[in-house]
Amino acid sequence: MNKQPLPDLQLTGITGGAGGIYDNVILEGVCKVNGAVRAQVIKANGVITFNGDATAEEMQANGKLKVSGTLQFGSMEFDGMMTIDRDLRGENCILNGMLTIKGDGELENLSGEGVFTVSGLLSAGHVDYRLQGQAKAGEIGVETLVIRKAGGSLWNKLASGLIPKLRTELITRSIEGDVLDLEFTTADVVRGGIVKIGQGCRIGRVEYLTELSVHPDASVGKVEKGGE
Amino acid sequence: MEEDLISKKELLELTGISYGQLYRWKRKQLIPEEWFIRKSAFTGQETFFPKERILRRVHNIINMKGDLSLDELAEKLADTTSYAHPHLSLSAAQLLERNIVSLTTLNRFGDATAGGKKYTFEQVVHLVAVDGLLSKGEMNLDEADGLFRTLTKNTAKFAGKNWELFFIRKMGASFFLLAATPADLIFDDGTRLVSRLSLTDLVEQLNGKLN
Repeated sequence: MNKQPLPDLQLTGITGGAGGIYDNVILEGVCKVNGAVRAQVIKANGVITFNGDATAEEMQANGKLKVSGTLQFGSMEFDGMMTIDRDLRGENCILNGMLTIKGDGELENLSGEGVFTVSGLLSAGHVDYRLQGQAKAGEIGVETLVIRKAGGSLWNKLASGLIPKLRTELITRSIEGDVLDLEFTTADVVRGGIVKIGQGCRIGRVEYLTELSVHPDASVGKVEKGGE
Repeated sequence: MEEDLISKKELLELTGISYGQLYRWKRKQLIPEEWFIRKSAFTGQETFFPKERILRRVHNIINMKGDLSLDELAEKLADTTSYAHPHLSLSAAQLLERNIVSLTTLNRFGDATAGGKKYTFEQVVHLVAVDGLLSKGEMNLDEADGLFRTLTKNTAKFAGKNWELFFIRKMGASFFLLAATPADLIFDDGTRLVSRLSLTDLVEQLNGKLN
C-alpha cells in the first residue's frame, strides 16, 4: 500500500458524497454515497445509503442503512434497520434491530437481538441471536447456533396472536451445524452433531450424530441418527 | 459432462469433517462456490459435490492446515502458480515410486521430454494429464501423442494463468482444446465431451501425491 495518508470523508446534513478509498468515513444525517467505498472506519448515524459496495475494517452505524451492493467488514456494531441488496461478509457482528440481506450472509460471529431476513444462505461460525419477531433464512450453515426468544412485552404477545407476521419465530428450509440449540424455529430439515430442539420448534426432519434432546412442546416429524 | 457426484452427507461421513468445518472452509473460499451443486432429492434439496475433486481438496486441506492458517491456505489454493513448485524436479524413479505417472506413460513420453533425467514441474503436470486420460481408457496412444505435443508446445502461452483442457470427439475424430479459465464452451449436438481437465485439478492431484 502507498504511504500517503488517506483522506477522510465527512458528511453532515442532507448531502451526498462520492465513493473511493478513505481512512475514516463519518456520515451524519441523510447521506448518500455514490460509488464503491473502502475505508478503515465507517461511522454512520441517520439515514444512510451506499450506492455500491461498502468495505470497512470497522463499522459503527445507527439508524437506517441501505447498501445497494455487498457490505464487507472486519467488525460491525449496528442498531437500527439495514438492507443489503447483495451479500454481507464480515468477521464479528453485533446487530440489534432489523437486518435484510437479499443475497448470502457470511459471518464468523453474529450476536444480537431483533429480526433478520436472509434470502440465500446464512453461513456463520457462531450465531447467538435473540428473536423479537419473524426471522427468515433460506438456509443456515454454522458451527454453533443458539436461537432464543427475547423477553417480549405483554402487548407484543397480544399482537402476535392477531398478526402472524409479529409472531416470534425463525423460519428456514434447512439448518446444518455442529452444535444447534434452537427455540421457536420452523425448519424442514435440521442436521447436526449435537442438536437441542427447544420449545416452540416445528421441525420436519432431524438428523443428528451424537446427541439429541427434544422439548416436550416441540414437534418433530422424523428423527434419524447418522454415522452408523 | 458426466462426473461422479457425492452428497454432502456422504462426504462428511467419508472424510470425518463436520458441517461447521465445511461451511467455514466455504466461507474462507477454500472450496469454490461452483462445487456446491444443488439438486432436489427425496428429502428436499440436497447439496452435491464433484466427488473426485472435493475428496482431493478436503484431503489437501486437512494435510496442510497443520502448518498454515486458513487464510494462508485460501491464498495458496486460489493461486495455482504459488502452490505449484517452480523449482521442483523429479526423476523418473521418483515419479514411479510415488505413483504419479504410470510406467507405460513414462516409457512412451518420458524420453520425449527429458533432455536429462529430471522432469520439471510443468513436464510432470503434462505427464499427469496424459497419464490420467490414458489410464481411464478415454483416449488411445496416438491421441495421447497428440495431446502431449499440444501441451508441451502451448501451455507456456498461458504464462502462469489457469487453463483447462477439453478433449472432444465427433464422428470418431478427436480434438484437444486449451482455454483460459473460466471458460464455458458449448458444443453442437453430435459432439461428445470426453474429458475436461483443469490445471488447478492437475496441480492439486499432484500436490496430494507429493505431500
